[in-house]
Amino acid sequence: MRRAWTGRLAAVAFVAASSCSSSFGMPRGSTEQGKDIFDLWQIFFWAGIGVAAIVYGLIGWSLLRYRRRRNEDETLLGRQFHANVPLEIIYTAIPVVIVIVLFVLSYRTERTASSLSASPDVTLRAEAFSWGWRFGFPDQGVEVVSQPSAEGVPGPEILLPLGETTRIELTSNDVIHAFWVPDFLYKRDALPGRINRFDVTPTDLGTFHGVCSEFCGLHHAYMTFTVRVVSPAAFDAWIASEAPAGGLA
Amino acid sequence: MSLTTERRHPVPSPADRPHGGPVAWLTTTDHKKIGLLYCVTAFTFFLIGGALAGAMRAELAGTGNQLVGPQAYNTLFTVHGIIMIFLFVAPFGVGLANYLVPLQIGAPDMAFPRLNAMSYWFFVGGGVLVLLSSFATDAGGVATGWYLYPPLSGPRYSPGVGPDLLILGLALIAISTLMSGVNVITTTFLMRAPGMTMWRLPLFTWNAVVTALLGLVAFPPAMAAFVLLLFDRRLGGQAFDPLGGGDPIVYQHLFWFLGHPEVYILILPFFGVITEIIPVCSRKRLFGYTGFVLATLAIGALSTGVWAHHMFTTGVVDNPFFSAMSFAIAVPTGVKFFNWIGTMWGGRLSFRVSMLFSIGFLLNFLIGGVTGVMLASPPLDFQLSDSYFLVSHFHYTIMGGSVFGIFAAIYFWWPKAFGYRLSERLGRGVFAFLFIGFNLTFWPQFVVGLRGMPRRIVDYAPGLGWETPNLVSSLGVVVLSLGVLVFLVDVVTARRRRTPAGDDPWGGHSLEWATTSPPPEHNFTALPRIRSERPAFDMRHPEVSPSSPPMERS
Repeated sequence: MRRAWTGRLAAVAFVAASSCSSSFGMPRGSTEQGKDIFDLWQIFFWAGIGVAAIVYGLIGWSLLRYRRRRNEDETLLGRQFHANVPLEIIYTAIPVVIVIVLFVLSYRTERTASSLSASPDVTLRAEAFSWGWRFGFPDQGVEVVSQPSAEGVPGPEILLPLGETTRIELTSNDVIHAFWVPDFLYKRDALPGRINRFDVTPTDLGTFHGVCSEFCGLHHAYMTFTVRVVSPAAFDAWIASEAPAGGLA
Repeated sequence: MSLTTERRHPVPSPADRPHGGPVAWLTTTDHKKIGLLYCVTAFTFFLIGGALAGAMRAELAGTGNQLVGPQAYNTLFTVHGIIMIFLFVAPFGVGLANYLVPLQIGAPDMAFPRLNAMSYWFFVGGGVLVLLSSFATDAGGVATGWYLYPPLSGPRYSPGVGPDLLILGLALIAISTLMSGVNVITTTFLMRAPGMTMWRLPLFTWNAVVTALLGLVAFPPAMAAFVLLLFDRRLGGQAFDPLGGGDPIVYQHLFWFLGHPEVYILILPFFGVITEIIPVCSRKRLFGYTGFVLATLAIGALSTGVWAHHMFTTGVVDNPFFSAMSFAIAVPTGVKFFNWIGTMWGGRLSFRVSMLFSIGFLLNFLIGGVTGVMLASPPLDFQLSDSYFLVSHFHYTIMGGSVFGIFAAIYFWWPKAFGYRLSERLGRGVFAFLFIGFNLTFWPQFVVGLRGMPRRIVDYAPGLGWETPNLVSSLGVVVLSLGVLVFLVDVVTARRRRTPAGDDPWGGHSLEWATTSPPPEHNFTALPRIRSERPAFDMRHPEVSPSSPPMERS
């Protein structure tokens, strides 16, 4: 019976290990920055599963092995030991090592994912307001303004060029909003009176859902937008079609 | 033979009768009555807050607006958060501390009994104002989210009277927290029985003391923020208005300086609760007492240095300090887990209802802890912040942890407080419904959060993979509600049946089990000798205890 139990455990471990590239149901990051972050995600998922498996294993073992048996005298005591200093030092030290490693990895990824390119290819000004978005490409003189958001009103759509670095300059016109494209694994707050800058370099073609993620009042739920990543040529064509006749650029 | 197990006062004084009249309850300064008032009031708020959550889950069960509009929904989640945090979990912890700390340290009452009564009535007043701010304002209830971020909570975007009432309510609650905190600390430091050194304090009392310290540290800055916000709203101040040169980020710093210690104010008392229950139900001494105390102090200290991890996505906090502190706080929590396991190791575990809830606490809280480490990492937080993953994370700590701790405490100390038992059979049902219902409700929220669902939305579009998890989550609430219903049935039937429990039904360790059930007004007629952190156990088991036979003090 003992062997069946360990066999099952090995089977579970094998299945888990063979699905090592699993994304656990989350997007894999459709930008260079997002892919960096996704690699970090994998480490955290496996570290978390490992820690949980060990702790759950120890809890489960204690519950099974040391349960009071049927008909056993209720007043019987367990063994009355109460400390084991070397053991306690070890199980304090191990979590310390784990969190130091995770902290260092997080710090490095944050540096790369949040670093700003010296010469972005495109600049997108994103201004959030209650409740909608004003997206502008100031260098090209293109602006996309959403309808006031409400139930059933589709959000605005913007295009971004594949493989080129877009600098997003994010701000707010009134209260605090946030710009979140879940497929990019990245969000930033849109703050009134401040400009937040970050870069995205899309690596996947596709249409991505975006939301305001900081609660901003009545129509917060409907303050959505769409980002469509297209080839640079298609992006240029879209810019040309959107630019006002006579063009500012 | 032990002297303390027999009832020395068969005729209780009038104020001590189990059915003391309403005037006796309203005017009481007895710590046990105040403790029970706290717990009953807090539990009533739990039912209200739970009903609000039920309405939210009904709304989110499918896409489209079925039940409430956006305005009402925004009020629902704002008030749900305020009620569960400030009017249910935290005051329930204060109630337990009120009831248990004097008993556990062998004191006749709290150090300041009238201040104690006052802190309870301030809490009630604050609670009434919070309810008024949500349901009774003609200009619509407060709908800003529980953390009242300006500019949204400022006069331009929330002109109604709701936020003002809420701020005043929170002010009363803060004052109440300060008063009860001072009381718990003074009581523990000055009123311990002879022999009860700090290193023999039961772990619940240690946790109550650290919780009280955190309240004293964390609430004043938040009070300052709330008062400045009130100036902005009503007196033309511009502290947080960017148009007037103010800065909403300053508010966030002040608020989260309360907000993060607050989550430890919500969890520490219930760490204490299960640390009392697990050794008793394992028939063992607590493993690693010193480590436990140091870990509790470390959590208290670290929790004041992590607040800005709530602000990673603002782009304003570019300092790795907050991330490092947030990672570090996982270590003492991990130590506690191993100590709990060490306590069960080699024991003889009886799965009483209180023990089942304690084990449920461990299983749920571990998930909350592991996902909490993810949130300490800024790059991961860029995806998780303000998502349903975050919502699920903190429900795994506060509901899966603290609320399970509350039910564990109710089943464990009920016989002490009332002299009769709750039903073990019904209690197992309560546990099964709550454990299954809780995980059914909140596990899908991890999934839907990773898929990109933000929190605080009344509605969502179809086709994003959000429908099924939301439906499952809403069905989970039905199971949860059944659990609460069975619990209420248990309370009503137990009150009718009144199965006598005896003074020490579980073989308890700390001093409250060495007096009668319920305890007399002055708590003890005799104290056993205190030679370890479990004097009641030593008294009944001289064969394994470090002390000489019990001796009477009177």
